[in-house]
Amino acid sequence: MTVVEKNPAPAAISVRNLDFYYGANHALKNISIDFPQGQVTGMIGPSGCGKSTLLRVLNRMYDLYPGQRATGEVIFDGCNILGPRVNLNVLRSRVGMVFQKPTPFPMSIYDNIAFGVRLHERLDRAAMDGRVEDVLRRVALWPEVRDRLHDSAAALSGGQQQRLCIARTIATRPEVVLLDEPTSALDPVSTARIEELLDELKADFTIAIVTHNLQQAARCADQVAFFYMGEVVEVDGADRMFTAPREKRTQDYITGRFG
Amino acid sequence: MDRSATSPSALTGAVKGNGDAVFATIVRCAAVLILLGLGGMVAVMAWGARAAFARFGLGFVLDKAWNPVTQHFGAAAPMFGTLVTSLLAIALAVPLAFGIAVWLTEIASPRISGVIGTLIQLLAAVPSIIFGMWGFAVLVPFMAHYVEPFANHTLGHVPGIGQLFHGAPYGTGFLTGGMILAVMITPFISAVMRDVFLSMPAVLKESAYGLGMTRWEVVRRIILPWSRTSVVGGIMLGLGRALGETMAITFVIGNANHIGWSLFSPGNTIASLIALEFPESAVGSLKFSSLMAVGFLLMLISLATLVCSRLLLRTRAAG
Repeated sequence: MTVVEKNPAPAAISVRNLDFYYGANHALKNISIDFPQGQVTGMIGPSGCGKSTLLRVLNRMYDLYPGQRATGEVIFDGCNILGPRVNLNVLRSRVGMVFQKPTPFPMSIYDNIAFGVRLHERLDRAAMDGRVEDVLRRVALWPEVRDRLHDSAAALSGGQQQRLCIARTIATRPEVVLLDEPTSALDPVSTARIEELLDELKADFTIAIVTHNLQQAARCADQVAFFYMGEVVEVDGADRMFTAPREKRTQDYITGRFG
Repeated sequence: MDRSATSPSALTGAVKGNGDAVFATIVRCAAVLILLGLGGMVAVMAWGARAAFARFGLGFVLDKAWNPVTQHFGAAAPMFGTLVTSLLAIALAVPLAFGIAVWLTEIASPRISGVIGTLIQLLAAVPSIIFGMWGFAVLVPFMAHYVEPFANHTLGHVPGIGQLFHGAPYGTGFLTGGMILAVMITPFISAVMRDVFLSMPAVLKESAYGLGMTRWEVVRRIILPWSRTSVVGGIMLGLGRALGETMAITFVIGNANHIGWSLFSPGNTIASLIALEFPESAVGSLKFSSLMAVGFLLMLISLATLVCSRLLLRTRAAG
């Protein structure tokens, strides 16, 4: 791996010498990468290269599945979250996640947001109403749903559902938001909205986004990491990565020669 | 190749053979046959029951008597027994099946889950007569010697629910019947629940865990609401089996036409009454017709259960 230039922002999450296994399959090989605070880190690379796997390590989602294990260190808030005594419910409320396909819960729009908040905070009705409105405004969904907050979330369009899922994730006020190809199932208009949203959100959250869309990475990310075959080949500022990559493999990928 | 009107590649012209039409007719007949079978069964039961209803009128349904000597018959006692034992069975089996399904899908490792899941399926393959023998040889004495005297002395003194636990500890009775039924229907309900839980999209579960939910919160707030329709469907399937179950319950119900508060008192269900008395009744006799009548009522109860569940599900889905 190429030596990374020091990024001036302190790291919200620091990954050090991480190895990850799906059973016998060695999916991440000795990965080290920092996620600078208040920045968007874009993760690119061909399918199966380990980008999504890394996201699933950052909130220990892999714990749900027997046979998946990680070794190494992931430092978040001064603590190695791969350690055995980590409270996963607290970790996941502080490291939120948005998935490729919108996953509204089978309940109303309002409850989709309020539910996650209630898990961690006791708010009275007015404060909860305020929180719901606030996050819906931030994802630019409020004008579209203000009159039907108590309708089922399943009735929303795909793009609206995805914005609702982002609202739901930020409503619990996490420090880090992980997004796994959040726009790959959406139309261009919805995609543009979500990209604008990321730009606003990074004021408050550290963001890690996996994407197959290189333009998206160029538009949204401050820092870009190129993954290949379970390794981080190169990490650099988005400007440099797409104009003057240092590694041949990175150059091949971003110019479309493979992957 | 010459593309004449009869060649297989021609877009117009005669279709080669009429296999599609024949097949469509066959499958349509299969569907109609089922409807005819159902209609025929209802008709035969109603026709067989006409003498009983002509003699006792609609009061037959609420009449507690069942007296072959005086030729006075009523359906209230076996209907009561059927409903009580089935509802007891549901009350006992649903929490058990739910626990099994959650454990198998959410907690147990895949290998153990596979083995235990298969074993529970095997329970569903045990013939009901075996349950009857086990119930009579093991469960009834156990209830008579331990459970019923104990419950009688403790719960029997609790105001309000005490009456439920009064009565002589015969071992046979409504509670024992309900327990046997519960064991028999648990595999069905848990199998349905397990399949539904497994069919849940993994990302939805992961989103819920991703918000920091505990396992119980995910089950309670995400999995159950998402799978409610099918879970209720599974419970109704179990209820349907419990209502109609015959052999096992005949062994442990005590066979007395009785209505009362005590869960320990012997009773009868429609199915057990028919199983015991149908072979001994002369075709064309009033008793024969009365048994057809209670059978007809059992069918109505089963159909009503199904309709109720559908209505319940529809209102829930809308709300």
